[in-house]
Amino acid sequence: MDKEALKQKIMEVFQKKAGGAGKSKIYLKDLQREIPDANPRDIKNAANELVKEGKLEYFSTGSTVMYGLPGVGMGLEAGMEKPEE
Amino acid sequence: MGEVKKHETPLMDDLKSGPWPSFVDDIYNYAEKKKKQACFDIMGQMELSYKNRETHWKHGGIVGVFGYGGGVIGRYSDQQEMFPSIWAFHTVRVNQPAAKWYHSSALRKLCDMWDHRGSGIVNFHGSTGDIILLGTVTEQLEYIFYDLGHQLKMDLGGSGSNLRTPECCMGMSRCEWSCIDTQDIIYELTMAFQDELHRPAFPYKFKIKVSGCPNDCVAAIARSDFSVIGTWRDKIKIDQDAVRAYVGGELKPNAGAHSDRDWGPFDIKKEVIDLCPTKCMFWDEGQKKLYINDAECNRCMHCINVMPEALWPGDDRGAVILMGAKAPILDGAQLSTVIIPFMKLEPPYDNLKNLLYKVWDYWMEHGKNRERLGETIQRIGLNRFIVDVLGLKPLPQHVKEPRSNPYIFWKEEEVEGGWTRDVAEFRKRHPA
Repeated sequence: MDKEALKQKIMEVFQKKAGGAGKSKIYLKDLQREIPDANPRDIKNAANELVKEGKLEYFSTGSTVMYGLPGVGMGLEAGMEKPEE
Repeated sequence: MGEVKKHETPLMDDLKSGPWPSFVDDIYNYAEKKKKQACFDIMGQMELSYKNRETHWKHGGIVGVFGYGGGVIGRYSDQQEMFPSIWAFHTVRVNQPAAKWYHSSALRKLCDMWDHRGSGIVNFHGSTGDIILLGTVTEQLEYIFYDLGHQLKMDLGGSGSNLRTPECCMGMSRCEWSCIDTQDIIYELTMAFQDELHRPAFPYKFKIKVSGCPNDCVAAIARSDFSVIGTWRDKIKIDQDAVRAYVGGELKPNAGAHSDRDWGPFDIKKEVIDLCPTKCMFWDEGQKKLYINDAECNRCMHCINVMPEALWPGDDRGAVILMGAKAPILDGAQLSTVIIPFMKLEPPYDNLKNLLYKVWDYWMEHGKNRERLGETIQRIGLNRFIVDVLGLKPLPQHVKEPRSNPYIFWKEEEVEGGWTRDVAEFRKRHPA
């Protein structure tokens, strides 16, 4: 699978998961499970490139990291914005 | 600058009364000198946490710098009205130089930068090994990243499901026992695995630590998924004259480290020979000569530590590779286990890198979410990991002691006649 096709596939997985009652944030492992015919390292590289392109974003607690679609589910600082003065 | 507000913190103030220098004093001194509200607020929130016995940090939420998946850990206060200046108090991990050698001017610049862009509170070093810069807001992150990269030539460290910042002991820079160039190895690995360090790649965190000798000053065996510990495979070098000097009291044991009180004259039998875990040493009182049966030595370093001028690690040096240490989440804490008893380590360390790739390839594919390498090894079994995953042969060094952890299983094709052979017939020829 070439890189562009893989990126396309990753975006499809996210759109499918985010739609309906799906999860808005998923682990890299879940992504790899959804695309069993690609090498895990290639999926990692493609997903990280998508983050660089702004199509995906990281969601991290500091101990582990998930991926999500920007604007879907809890945002970067959702619920954590500074209260209006 | 506006007025700063100090909170009432009787519980925190109590910490100042102990015998050791207190971080409470440090933070208040700094806060008053620089008029930093964030420092007063952090003490106020800590006071509240002590009182309520619960944290007042919110969980999770990502902040980061563009293109990096780690290095910044988001922290938000859940008492935003009471402590407005720490509503966001993010932690920045900065990759420390190998063995933590700094030029003082670099430290000064770093502190100036953090004074300007953060709370001014730093932690040298966190248990991760990184420099920890505590407390800044989201808007400052890109500037901090730029200043670190362009002015200080420093990089962010690892956090999240990344390779964490590799760490090493002082190695050859200060220690004559170092069997490998730990700093060079860490530098090489850090440069080679930039992508793994900065972008999430794994089911969970992965730590590499390198110690130069079995004293293991960075506790690689306890704290890293992939521990590299320097060792040697020939004989311990002995200077018999120096041994006699220790016995005669001319040289101080442990290089004088315990000379603060009088322990009496040095007794080589009591302090060295009898403490050898494998009983492989012998002191001939008549000949005044020390003998070591090196085949039995398990490299505990005790004798070398006690008599550093008389004994040294051998000349055929390399490293033992252990894998799987972790702190408790599943199944309690565990130490790394020996996977490769001896590996020569020469630049550019391709053998080490290839081994890491092999481990990662398997773990990335088969490790579960939030499962450390040690847990994966436990789940599939050490025998399968060694034989099937890494393609290595089982060795005596993999076994703690005979018959206590016999995880080496035979495959059917390795057994003459397979599983269905006639055992009665076999026993006729081999009655025992």
